Amino acid sequence: MLDKLLKKHETYLFLIIIAYAVVVTSVNRSFMTFENLFDILRSGAGMGILAMGVLVALLSGGIDVSFTAVAISGGYIAVRVIMATGVDNLFAAFAISCSIGIVLGLINGLIISYFKLPTLIATLGTLNVFHGALTTFVGTESVNARQMPSCFVNFGSAKIITLVSEQGSKYGLSVFVIPLVAVIVLTWFILRFTMLGRGIYALGSNRESAKRAGFNITALQLFVYSYIGFLAGVMGVVFVSEVRWVNPVTLIGTELTVIAAVVIGGTKLTGGSGTILGTLLGVAIVTILYNTLVFLGLSAAWNNFFVGIIIIISIGITSYRNRIKNRKSLSFKT
Amino acid sequence: MSDRKLLKIKDTKIWILAFIMIGVIFVLALVLSGKFLTLRNFQSMAYQFPEFGLLALAMTIAMITGGIDLSVIATANLTGIIAAIIMTNYVNAENAGNPAALLFVVLAIIAALVTAAACGLLNGVLISLVGVPPILATLGTMIFYSGIGMAVTKGIGVVGFPESFLEIGAGKLSLFPIPLLIFIGCALVISFILNKTSFGLKLCLVGANPTASLFSGINNKVVIINTYMITGLLAGISSIIMISRFNSAKVGYGDTYLLQAILVAVLGGIDPYGGYGKVSGVVMGIIILQVLQNAFTLFGFTPYAKGLIWGLMLILVMIINFVTSRYQERSKILRMKDQGVIE
Amino acid sequence: MNDDFLIVDNVSKSYVGVHALKNVDLKISSGSIHCLVGENGSGKSTLIKAIAGVIPIDSGEIIINGKTYTHLHAIDSIREGIQVIYQDLSLFPNLTVAENISLIQMVEERKKFISWNEMEQIARRELDRIGIRLKVDDLVEDLSMANRQIVAIVRALTQDARLIVMDEPTTALTKGEIDSLFSLISDLKNNGISTLFVSHKLSEVLAISEKVAVLRDGMMVGDFETSDLDTNRLVFHMTGKEIVHSIFQYQGKKSGEPPLLELKDLTKKPNYSDINLSLFRGEILGITGLLGSGRTELALSLFGLNRPESGQIWIDGRFQTMRRPGDAIRAGISYLPEDRHSQGLFLQQSIGNNLIVTILSRILNKLRVISEKKKLESMNRYVRELRIKTPTLDTPAESLSGGNQQRVLFGKWLATDPKIFILDGPTVGIDIASKSEIHQLIKKLAQGGMGIIVISDEINEVFHNCNRILVMKNGRIAAEVDPQHTTEQELTDLVEKKNGVAS
Repeated sequence: MLDKLLKKHETYLFLIIIAYAVVVTSVNRSFMTFENLFDILRSGAGMGILAMGVLVALLSGGIDVSFTAVAISGGYIAVRVIMATGVDNLFAAFAISCSIGIVLGLINGLIISYFKLPTLIATLGTLNVFHGALTTFVGTESVNARQMPSCFVNFGSAKIITLVSEQGSKYGLSVFVIPLVAVIVLTWFILRFTMLGRGIYALGSNRESAKRAGFNITALQLFVYSYIGFLAGVMGVVFVSEVRWVNPVTLIGTELTVIAAVVIGGTKLTGGSGTILGTLLGVAIVTILYNTLVFLGLSAAWNNFFVGIIIIISIGITSYRNRIKNRKSLSFKT
Repeated sequence: MSDRKLLKIKDTKIWILAFIMIGVIFVLALVLSGKFLTLRNFQSMAYQFPEFGLLALAMTIAMITGGIDLSVIATANLTGIIAAIIMTNYVNAENAGNPAALLFVVLAIIAALVTAAACGLLNGVLISLVGVPPILATLGTMIFYSGIGMAVTKGIGVVGFPESFLEIGAGKLSLFPIPLLIFIGCALVISFILNKTSFGLKLCLVGANPTASLFSGINNKVVIINTYMITGLLAGISSIIMISRFNSAKVGYGDTYLLQAILVAVLGGIDPYGGYGKVSGVVMGIIILQVLQNAFTLFGFTPYAKGLIWGLMLILVMIINFVTSRYQERSKILRMKDQGVIE
Repeated sequence: MNDDFLIVDNVSKSYVGVHALKNVDLKISSGSIHCLVGENGSGKSTLIKAIAGVIPIDSGEIIINGKTYTHLHAIDSIREGIQVIYQDLSLFPNLTVAENISLIQMVEERKKFISWNEMEQIARRELDRIGIRLKVDDLVEDLSMANRQIVAIVRALTQDARLIVMDEPTTALTKGEIDSLFSLISDLKNNGISTLFVSHKLSEVLAISEKVAVLRDGMMVGDFETSDLDTNRLVFHMTGKEIVHSIFQYQGKKSGEPPLLELKDLTKKPNYSDINLSLFRGEILGITGLLGSGRTELALSLFGLNRPESGQIWIDGRFQTMRRPGDAIRAGISYLPEDRHSQGLFLQQSIGNNLIVTILSRILNKLRVISEKKKLESMNRYVRELRIKTPTLDTPAESLSGGNQQRVLFGKWLATDPKIFILDGPTVGIDIASKSEIHQLIKKLAQGGMGIIVISDEINEVFHNCNRILVMKNGRIAAEVDPQHTTEQELTDLVEKKNGVAS
């Protein structure tokens, strides 16, 4: 039992987090507080939602880098539409954002499955197309906190649990964890309990075999990319509510960080292998690093430095172990 | 269809590209005549594109080996920052004219190139010795290098370079801007390496089939490491030109160049799966892009609108590649039938 | 009585002007054991894929269970009871045994949700039915080749299969496992399940089948009763030609001559151990044995790709360490790999480039730059000497036939002037005419003084082309045989028997 645990990638990630927590707490006690924990959860919720989508894409043997453009399109358009129509309802916001997400995701899916384009390059293209289209056709007006419709503002500040700190200030666990948990459960359910999920694993594992087994490859791919689009739509609303200020040029540029988090979590780029727990741990590591280096007295300027090192080490270890395994079986697939 | 003709489809692509390039310039000249067809405009383009062109060349080489280098821009930023720090710390307004200052400028440039090569070396080692897939390795190093740059500069630009250094970005030799000359030089060298040296051929073969190259006695590891070091060096040269032109070094310069570099490589005929690529194709792709970029600016497009067009072009070019490769498959089978190789 | 389960009626299929199948007829009755043979390119895999519904046919009909299909889809074929086990087994390495076994059934039943219990139960039930013990939770990628084969077969059986098509199922099995497979096929027959067995191992074909269908160049030559056939007849139907065998004559070594290659106690667990052998100039040494006996692993060690743990390699009296192929090449060793397409050739590169890749350092001029003249000279020389059929030097290697591709590989290695040439499966998947030409070439090279090692599965091949044959078993050299003083049958028995006792 113990050595099976030691073999798992997730165990090491967990240990890294614990080690880091211990180090930071010894420097600054305020790391180990609920306030901090709630803060981390709130910041990481968005990335967590997107990471579930990236996980599904990687499992199917592909990759998607366009999701930030989809997220900001969904979020921004939802805000503008609500402002224009006055329907100040959070569910409407999600509906609008997610529908846009699904449509954009379908576009990705169609291009990839019909033209069989390499997924990295295709989605790099759509990232720019979606973003360009958003800014050119919808506009680049910012919407600031005063103008933001109340449904978003309320969503952003709502809390599930509210506690009072030693200094008397109130803090709480943001409502954002609800969509996060919902997305995690939904993804878990699809991957573990449906044929769709098995199909995604099969596709990523061995595309030709999946075809021969009777899986509909096109349908699977369309699902994968629209699912990411859907999740991006959810995240778009969360993002807009968190930041309480939205401009179509934000969020883009963070996609590679999300992918890095998923990969740190042990998901293989080649497909068919990856877990939800691993992904969540990867997101946790990245979020914690981004948010808490300040406890060590390091400014935010050091974020990328440490995240970069963690990525290199983590990927280095998994790749090297993989290489040793290949060498043992004399498989020369480099 | 004769056989010569079939392989020439790849070469034909180069001719098609050349036609497109001339066609685009022609059309733009017609539409924008006054503002486009001036020596000043051409010269300004000739100042602007080399830094990007070098990055595109770097990306091309990585792609020919079947990989990709997402870290080229981060490498360029980092090396620029290092050169900038050296120069601003040792050279200021008073001693700028001093010959010792020139020494520091040279030192800064050398330091930049050494750092650039080191960045490339790390990539090469991760990919060939540790076995990390190129996308992931360069993703990690991209974040890491930009992290170093950020930690060192705290996001603030490093400014104030000596005149002698600024000459690189601003000067010219008779009609030709210095950056242009640097780019032409590098392009010629890379082209020479790829076409005429055994290293260049090995590079293509490793990209075409790394297992077969291993079994043929080629030392894959050495080839990959050298490849990424060259990539790094090109990024370093690019950064010298960039910071000289902007008179400052900052994290985040050139972020939009990443997509464009890949676009240009694919447009220029590079096979993203590796094994094939011609510098001439990439150069023409660079020119087409620069000319379009220039025209879009003259038309008043926002950077996002340009991004939209680059994205569309990338997808379109890949779709065209897909369609023509299907066509090539059919012709190949027809040809095999002609030769009696298969029934 | 018409109890034909499957009728392929006048089926044709072309790929852009090339006929892969032309007016093919085939009848498979229930509970029969049928074999399909044909050379490479004869259309076997196309026919299989057509029956499986994985590719569409251009004309003709496929009648399964009395139902006529002009456009058969994979899911229809599966529902009608046709299961294909491809050579690569089509398993999902990242998934467990249970998942691999039950997945197709779930797809076929159009299930939306899965129950892990159900999958486990299905898997256990099916494994028990065959009487095999395997842990259903294991990942397939961790299983041995033979166990993977079992998973593939069990998977095929889960769906009330009526016809199981097996594409080259025995390549990775030991003799004992092949016997088990054959008795499984007999059991299937007794249960009314038919088997269509595709194989190039003619002895097996003749042993197990009741009928043999022969394809040549996309056309069905005939569907014969096995009792009417023998090996020569079968080869004649497959190729349309008679073959003549000639035995290799070794000139014998000069007295006192040191061995070209000597291996002393070479060991690399678990691949091979205590290998001692010598190879002299002009010899063609054969190494044969079942898969897993360590032959290729040994060859890879000689080529620098599988560093031995202990023991010594001596070449021409000098001690060598092989750390990478470059070392081996410099020492004078060339290796022609088993897998032509992924290990030997650069398929999309020109033939010219494929020919000179090993001698890049020799075609440089004074400035260390590639000399066009030297390059072309080398390329042309080997195209000429090996009679490679190609219109130009620029033709991509993938457009050549199997036999010509192999010649390119020979050319690339002969260009390095090797002293020792190791050939691993040199005529696998090559048409019979090219096969004998390659054998002639090998003999000629030996007569010129090269030391050659031929690693092969085919007893026939080593018997007629080597002056000495080593049989490897479980990583050791079990026997040394002189073809002049043994029969082919004795050699076959030596290879196939277990631990010195005939099975």
